[in-house]
Amino acid sequence: MTNSIGEIRDADLVFVIGSNTTEAHPIIAMEMKRAALRGAKLIVADPRATWLAGFADIHLRLWPGTDVALLSAMAHVILDEGLHDRAFVEQQTEGFEQVRDAVAEWTPERAEAICGVPAADIRAAARAYATTRRAGIYYTLGITEHTHGTDNVYCLSNLVLLTGHLGVRSAGLNPLRGQNNVQGANDAGASPIFLPGYQRVADPSVRAKFSAAWGAEVPETPGKNLNEMMHDLRHGAIRGMFVMGEDILVSEPDVAGLDAALPGLEALVVVDLFLTETAKRADVVLPAAAFAEKDGTFTNSERRVQRVRAAVPPPGDARPDWQIVSALLQRAGVDPVAGKAADAVVPSDIYAELAGLCDKFAGIDHARIEAEGGLQWPCPLPNHPGTPTLHEGGPMRGKGLLVPVQYRGSIETPDADYPLLMSTGRTLYHYNVATQTRREPGIVARQSACFVEVHAEDADALGLRDGGRCEVATRRGSIEAAVRVTPRVQKGMIWLPMHFAEARANLLTIDAGDIVTGTAEYKVCAARVRPLPEPAAG
Amino acid sequence: MPDDDHRPPSAAPAASPDAALPAAGATALQLVVDGEVVQAQPGETLLDVARRRGVIVPTLCHDDRLHPTGACRMCLVESSDSRRLVPACRHPVAEGLQVQTDSERVQRHRRALLALYQADQPEAVVPGSELDRWMRRYGVAAGVPALENQRQGRPDDDNAFIRFQPERCILCARCTRYCDEVEAVAAIGIGHRGPQTTVVTAEMRGLLDTSCELCGGCVDTCPTGALVENKALPRQMELADLPTVRTTCGYCGVGCQMDLTVDREKGEIVRVASPPPGTTTNDGNLCVKGRFATGYVGHRDRLTTPLVRDHATGELVPTDWETALDRATASLRGVAARHGAHALGFISSSRATNEENYLVQKLARAAFGTNNCHQCAAT
Repeated sequence: MTNSIGEIRDADLVFVIGSNTTEAHPIIAMEMKRAALRGAKLIVADPRATWLAGFADIHLRLWPGTDVALLSAMAHVILDEGLHDRAFVEQQTEGFEQVRDAVAEWTPERAEAICGVPAADIRAAARAYATTRRAGIYYTLGITEHTHGTDNVYCLSNLVLLTGHLGVRSAGLNPLRGQNNVQGANDAGASPIFLPGYQRVADPSVRAKFSAAWGAEVPETPGKNLNEMMHDLRHGAIRGMFVMGEDILVSEPDVAGLDAALPGLEALVVVDLFLTETAKRADVVLPAAAFAEKDGTFTNSERRVQRVRAAVPPPGDARPDWQIVSALLQRAGVDPVAGKAADAVVPSDIYAELAGLCDKFAGIDHARIEAEGGLQWPCPLPNHPGTPTLHEGGPMRGKGLLVPVQYRGSIETPDADYPLLMSTGRTLYHYNVATQTRREPGIVARQSACFVEVHAEDADALGLRDGGRCEVATRRGSIEAAVRVTPRVQKGMIWLPMHFAEARANLLTIDAGDIVTGTAEYKVCAARVRPLPEPAAG
Repeated sequence: MPDDDHRPPSAAPAASPDAALPAAGATALQLVVDGEVVQAQPGETLLDVARRRGVIVPTLCHDDRLHPTGACRMCLVESSDSRRLVPACRHPVAEGLQVQTDSERVQRHRRALLALYQADQPEAVVPGSELDRWMRRYGVAAGVPALENQRQGRPDDDNAFIRFQPERCILCARCTRYCDEVEAVAAIGIGHRGPQTTVVTAEMRGLLDTSCELCGGCVDTCPTGALVENKALPRQMELADLPTVRTTCGYCGVGCQMDLTVDREKGEIVRVASPPPGTTTNDGNLCVKGRFATGYVGHRDRLTTPLVRDHATGELVPTDWETALDRATASLRGVAARHGAHALGFISSSRATNEENYLVQKLARAAFGTNNCHQCAAT
């Protein structure tokens, strides 16, 4: 996030796109609802009538995968009506002409034909966004989990830069992080192209710095991203995996292909809380501690580094991951923390080594967080207060880059054999593959099993009954689920949650990724649904 | 909705460190509080001014996140613009006002009011609750006979998380206003009349059959313990004596701060609550997962010992840490030796800490010589 969660309630306009905030980030949604109740304008762009859409002044109900058309038309309106911030564009951005040309033909009427949103609503949303200063954009995986996810993000950043809504309180461009520490995992260098602190592996001076600090050479060969690793695993180029805290056999796309490839692995080491589907296939399973059983830090969506504290002991012989990885480092002859005996290392030492190698976090340490509470990076010095709002003195890269984008359709769209568009997502009551939430009986009482949302007209045509059983099939596989007939989805689309291991949505999803980031297409593929006979009574 | 709007300034400290001070630029007023001249801004309430000066005015129905209603009468003070005592939480400041927050008359009122609340509580007040704290501070006038409490609960509500104990309710409406104004799902309200007045749902249904999202914010804001987590209910009277540990939620990326009440002897999390409003990013709020879905932590399915695959039987069998760690290292090394370091992949976790992610990428790069390292949320 360029801005902070606490700024949302002072916003005059909140534009939420591709984020089911009330279910995936309930606490941020509370702030959005408070802003809306106070009189802020709320614009929600989502194919589904989400709970938050019920609060919206304008619900832009686009067809899944057509975000670029919608957003290009919004940019078109802003430029056509001269609502852009001319001074900001001139002084703080580059690439204006290319973007102007790219959106020139994207009239709201043309976009309406593709995305299904009435042209008048596109105009109203564009005008409101452009003419409100404290106007923030919030997005999540509905933007990024597409083969054109990077294009979607560029479209959003173009809107921000054209209107100068950057470096302003309650404005900016705000991706909401899904997991508690997505931000921190990236910050700490769990990335094939970045060492900690977003320092590029490709840069020889960066490699030299880390090699010297670690007493071991940082390899030069670029790493593979997760999507590429999963590909290579399927094709036999990856032969050994270390997997910490992910059930790849449930959460990765096209899991059937992955399942078939696992016997080809010569080494599979899994660190987890439970014997997950992936752990069941491992050579070595190492039992880890849960968040309430260990010390360390998480970094939230607004870049705030906060403490995690051990409240209860781990069960049996389970150990915190940091102890497990320290022991593996030690066996490989690398000090977990340079200059400190491996047995004496504690999490604050590890953070100190990380922060010492990264200007962005150099002013942060455990003791300071204890004394002051969470700190938002960049925080380069011990007396620096942290940074709630980014780009306050102008774009950090010097000039904000406007990037022209061309609309491309999704890679697999409905056809005669698979006539429905299938999208996947999350619900309030479960978390990802639900290894944790399905172990809470009160949660299971609320939502116990997989369901698929179907529009009433499609249900009638297919002979589906609300509450009945059905089979959902794609070119990859099929699952069974309960039918939920609901106006939340549009005619011609279905939606299902990805939480349920016995009905893995990722048996259905397509193994295709964004060309830049590799982020998988979980939001659009083609499917068909047929009713299943009711189980015999008794 | 109240007819006047004295919403306090937004209170997230990180976002607005000066939230407690009057906004710059507006014309200041002067009034006299407990004999001292103080500055205030139009639109502020007597409670705002008192709190800024560190003067304690007791409240029960007040929550900084909600429109003040003045329902509980706990915050009544003397003000020169009224012959009657006025609720500080919603009485606006005015030029030249003379205010007494702790006069004999105010103190007498507080003791009498608390005695009425006491009479309406058939059992002992929940230790550590706001009502308990004010009773301890101001004492309770003697001699008010116990009232016959006729408020109904929802005995058939089978939701697993939130329990309403009507006998402990003082009808301050904090829970219902929270449900309207913050969580904004309007699942509960105040209903019925006279001595039957109580907290209701539509047709007194269980919460699972309402718009309730089970966030439990009603429990956190309740000043008496009438609303309580089911799990903590058997230990409600001892909760205040158990230690708490401040930590960060392990679910989504909001980073809510939470206070875990723990039983150290049993190694159990007894309850999860938010720190007070205005002190952390989550502003006193939590969601159903953060507050209630921690049962996995102590679940019987947890792995408690390392496992290695027995090549003879093909089964995973328990072993000790030394054996498991040696085997893990040897198997990954073997792959690197046979196929090169690029044949290894390391998946780190967006659920793990910064420190743990740092060590995993160090393991991939420094120990095994590959940049094939990514976190699980990258797909």
